[in-house]
Amino acid sequence: MSPTPIVPIIVFLTSTIMLLYFAKIPYRFYLKMLWYPMIIIAITCLIIAFFFGYQEPLAEINLLGLRWTVFNDGVNLGFNTFFRVAGGISTQFFLILTTPMTSVLLLLRKARIPQVLIEISLLIYRYIFVFIEVMETMHTAQELRLGYSSLMRRLRSTSLLIANLFIRTLEQGERTFTAMSARGYDGNIRVLEDLPKPNKTALIGIILFVALLIIAAYLTLNFRIV
Amino acid sequence: MLFRLENLTHQYSDGTIALNDVSLSFDKGERIALLGTNGSGKTTLLHHLNGILKPTLGNIYYEDKPLRYDSKSLLELRRRVGFVFQDPNDQLFAPTVKQDVAFGPLNLGVPAEQVKKIVDEALRTVGMAEFTEKPPHFLSLGQKKRVALAGVLAMQPQVIIMDEPTSNLDPRATSEILHLLLQLNKEAGITLLLATHDVDMVPLFANKLYILSKGKLVSHGSPKELFSDAEMIRRVNLRSPRITHLFEVLKKENSLPIGPELPLTISEARKEILRLLDIANGAENERAASHERS
Repeated sequence: MSPTPIVPIIVFLTSTIMLLYFAKIPYRFYLKMLWYPMIIIAITCLIIAFFFGYQEPLAEINLLGLRWTVFNDGVNLGFNTFFRVAGGISTQFFLILTTPMTSVLLLLRKARIPQVLIEISLLIYRYIFVFIEVMETMHTAQELRLGYSSLMRRLRSTSLLIANLFIRTLEQGERTFTAMSARGYDGNIRVLEDLPKPNKTALIGIILFVALLIIAAYLTLNFRIV
Repeated sequence: MLFRLENLTHQYSDGTIALNDVSLSFDKGERIALLGTNGSGKTTLLHHLNGILKPTLGNIYYEDKPLRYDSKSLLELRRRVGFVFQDPNDQLFAPTVKQDVAFGPLNLGVPAEQVKKIVDEALRTVGMAEFTEKPPHFLSLGQKKRVALAGVLAMQPQVIIMDEPTSNLDPRATSEILHLLLQLNKEAGITLLLATHDVDMVPLFANKLYILSKGKLVSHGSPKELFSDAEMIRRVNLRSPRITHLFEVLKKENSLPIGPELPLTISEARKEILRLLDIANGAENERAASHERS
């Protein structure tokens, strides 16, 4: 973990550039993905900057007769948190947008994550799309019968929709289990392991990049924004 | 006999009797259609054939041996008897097409290298080879049905059971599935058992037909025999194929000299129409000839 925002900024810029230029993700799509989490962290970090810290007072604000002191270490912590989360989110997006789910699951299996968790994620990944479709159909059906025409109706329709979705998931689970049994399911989901062999240049690139980050972290150890 | 069902009765836990004293049998290489309305017990019957359901009463024999329900026997049965479900979303659970098709053979303990070959082969057979890495939710219903079929083919079964193979499919997808099934029957000798209420499809496909109504077996025989019993067909709330119905009306209402066996398919109808035209032309020529003579 870096105590300064430098390394997270490098990470953020690197994954953003790789996504936009190499993975050819449309920038509007990427911005839209970034937008909501960023707003949330920005607010959080603002609060951190104003409420934390005790070392050197930076400024005093007069808030309706109350004196509010902002400290330098609080502001630094706010900035650090913001960039650290931003870097983390951008690497998450990098993983999501470039790596197929099967590869991720196979890697998790290699990393000895408990089988149950992997199987559940596999089923969730597949059936989330089925249920999004079911939800959209039910939502349209409700809307066509004016289920969302007033606040009370909206609340009622939404609750019915959610309740119904729960029932549908239970039914789907049972039917999927039957269908899997018909193909010899015995409690273990076996998958074909065919991860591509790691590319040597990519591997060296990754090692170099991580080394660079570590060096950068040491060199900027004493860097402070304020 | 490949499959023999003796006095099969199934009662669900809520008390509904879904099957009542059903006996039927079929042999290797046959193409059997199980015809009945919604709720007639077709799916319940099919679920007995690969051990998903156990009979409440009665016996099931596969290759003259009674079905057993321990996990080893079930695995063996399910290898031989493949089941394609009506809704492919029930069956396709894996994140990619390839992983889904590989599921069956991996459960049978086939080594991974061989599984890859089997998966490619199965996907090629159903014409989905270029969709190997696609997630199922990007596919159309017809494509999903074909992947579901590939998932079963990959287990190299002797029998394939399909529940409503053509329901909700567009005409093109319907005929593609149908041709695929006929080809599997002809080339690989796979026995086929379909449950359906698509009466127009039945004569194109089946050599043997069972009609189920309210959990009881009402009738069985060749499609020709059963569809000529129009009264029975109506009694069980089914109908004849459209083309057969047309010829029935022409025979009854217009007294056309149509043969004792009504045509069931387009090609049979074509023959019959040509025959009728020949008769009409013959009569015309005779009239002309007699006119000349006088």
